[in-house]
Amino acid sequence: MAGRGRGKTGSLTQEQLQTLGCIGKDIPQVQTAPPPTFPPLMSKPVKLETTAAQNYQILWREAYLNHMRDSPYFLAPKIPNANSTLQSYSDQWATAVENAKTKTKADFIWQMMPTELHITQKKRRVAGGDKIVSKKPRNIDDRLKVLEEKERNEDEKDITKASSDSEHEEEEEAPADEEMDDENDYGNSYFDNGESYNEEDDNLDDGPVY
Amino acid sequence: MSIEYANLCSVVVKQVFGETVQIVADCLFCAVSRTLPAILKTTKLSRKEVSLALAVLIKYQLVVFIPCESNPFLAEYSLKREEIFNILRYPGYVQLIHTKYGAVGAAIAEELLHGGPQTATNVLLKCIASSEVKEKVDTYRDNFLTMVSDNYLIRLPQLITGEEETIPKFQIDAYQYFVPPDINLHFIAQVQAGKENVEKAADAGIFWQLNFSRFHQDFRDAVMIGAIEKKLGASTGECFKYILKQMYERTDPWQKECSNPFTLAEIKQLIEKKSNNLDLIKHLDQYVTLIADDPLCFIRKVGDMGGGQYVVDLNRAFEELTLAWFGHVITERYGSKASRIFRIIYMKKFIEQEELQKEAMIPAREAKLLSYYLFQDQFIQIKTIRKAGGGGTGPAKAFFLFHFKPRQSVRMVLNVCYKALYNTIERSNFEKSEHKRLIEKSQKLDSIVATMKERGESAEYIDEILETLTPPEREILEKVKSRLKTLSKAEITLDSSIFLLQMYLFHTKVPTTLSNKDKKLM
Repeated sequence: MAGRGRGKTGSLTQEQLQTLGCIGKDIPQVQTAPPPTFPPLMSKPVKLETTAAQNYQILWREAYLNHMRDSPYFLAPKIPNANSTLQSYSDQWATAVENAKTKTKADFIWQMMPTELHITQKKRRVAGGDKIVSKKPRNIDDRLKVLEEKERNEDEKDITKASSDSEHEEEEEAPADEEMDDENDYGNSYFDNGESYNEEDDNLDDGPVY
Repeated sequence: MSIEYANLCSVVVKQVFGETVQIVADCLFCAVSRTLPAILKTTKLSRKEVSLALAVLIKYQLVVFIPCESNPFLAEYSLKREEIFNILRYPGYVQLIHTKYGAVGAAIAEELLHGGPQTATNVLLKCIASSEVKEKVDTYRDNFLTMVSDNYLIRLPQLITGEEETIPKFQIDAYQYFVPPDINLHFIAQVQAGKENVEKAADAGIFWQLNFSRFHQDFRDAVMIGAIEKKLGASTGECFKYILKQMYERTDPWQKECSNPFTLAEIKQLIEKKSNNLDLIKHLDQYVTLIADDPLCFIRKVGDMGGGQYVVDLNRAFEELTLAWFGHVITERYGSKASRIFRIIYMKKFIEQEELQKEAMIPAREAKLLSYYLFQDQFIQIKTIRKAGGGGTGPAKAFFLFHFKPRQSVRMVLNVCYKALYNTIERSNFEKSEHKRLIEKSQKLDSIVATMKERGESAEYIDEILETLTPPEREILEKVKSRLKTLSKAEITLDSSIFLLQMYLFHTKVPTTLSNKDKKLM
């Protein structure tokens, strides 16, 4: 029994309607369809007054909206309409007109806003990347000379290194191995002068390997 | 906050700040507050777009931020929902300033609404540079200071400078809100000459914006004075204006129910000083008694000291005004008979169907129909009183009484108003986009004709230019313009209704109902 008849429903029950005086024809029919979008008005609405103050407000509002639309604070997405596959001439003209409108630069006081909102336009720079090395040498001859000198110096260094290496072979053995492991698995000691090319294979007897 | 209000806010933001800001504002409307990553995730916009949209909303004081509780380095943004609605009232604010301070004051207000809160020096510089009103800097400065002293402009909390923090903090003491700024005219002249930078101004960092609550106070007074004027005449309206002025001397403008008491002698002194209405000065006692005795009950006598002590009863005043407003709405929608039924239900508090028919002196069938219409549209409610006993044989007997729940009905009508306002804005946007080409064409023609007139071109040539707009086009344009004007007027009228209902909700007492816990204790 608890709670019976207590729940609130959207409309009144038959019994309740009868108590309210709805008998027979008076009982409204059950509405199954949604009400019309523009139902007929029972009485005509009162005509609105037009005052000077209202006119001022209407004009000011229009001017305000136009001002805001042309301001840099009006942010509309710059996505072209995906539905329109055909672009008419008028569309192009309209976008050209929109682009031609020179909007003043937005003036934000970033100190008064959280720092996370301030996205700077600066690109990230790699440490020490300030020096820009031009890829193309200005004078090829000079560049070649420099490279030759560099090569010569390296050769000299290699010779002196070789002599010193033989002296300190035992000491440097371990670091050399490490270097090898670090870089790649390429066998630097391997040398092929091409003489063995087209020679008979010693392992022919073994037969083909599948 | 209802879905109607959310839709309205959304369309207002879109109209003023564009679609991107609308998406961000919608996202913030749904929650109390949100962090930037949460907004990014919900809106699916790029970080740059969201940041820019938030920056715009913060600039125009529509969003506030506080450090997140769990992570003090992360900001939580929340939308000022009431402030968005105020955008619709901007024309009203400017118009009020225009009537009080003229074109110079309106230019200052306009600049603050266009560019958001700014420093006084900045506002003056911009007004001088861009405004159509060519006035001296002194006039602008004096107007600005008067507006501050009259509380139409309010100072924003100042940034606490010192350590660089990820989330800036602001602070202001209550006494500083209306402290006039230091405006140096010599410095302004130097800035104009390009010798100084605005950022070095003496008032740099002190930002001002329009004080909306002061405007609302004026709107509220205008509603009350207008009602008195319509009912009891112009002199009584003037008398009530001075009563309100006297009330503000000792009462907080936003005191909820009743004002602090004031005496007739005080009002007399004030009117003698400021009014030129001899009739009012001569018969002041009678005018005050007339207002106090009127069923509108705007003022109430509370004592006999100083020729009679009175209070302004804001609670009762807005209850009466709202009731009258309901009466008008019902008359417009269902006719005068329905309005009579509504008034009877309000007077009798609880009334049965049959008794209602007799009291209203309306044929039974018509009375039934009208009362059911009112019930269907939630202007009135039904209270069921079940008779004890009845046994298990038949249905339990019950009485069905019609009654009026003002707060509930006001909330319902307020939502209807929000919806109507949303529809009006959407409709006018639709009309504008449908006839965009025609409107732009006529605007271009107007500007061409204006420049031609300035140049002193012949009337024949001007007519020839005007003929480029064909008669059918002209006819369509006229229709569209009148439709847009009607919609704009409807917006203003709707806003005045919304204002009245909001004032009612603010000033009236919330009916106290005993909770089950309290009932048990009793």
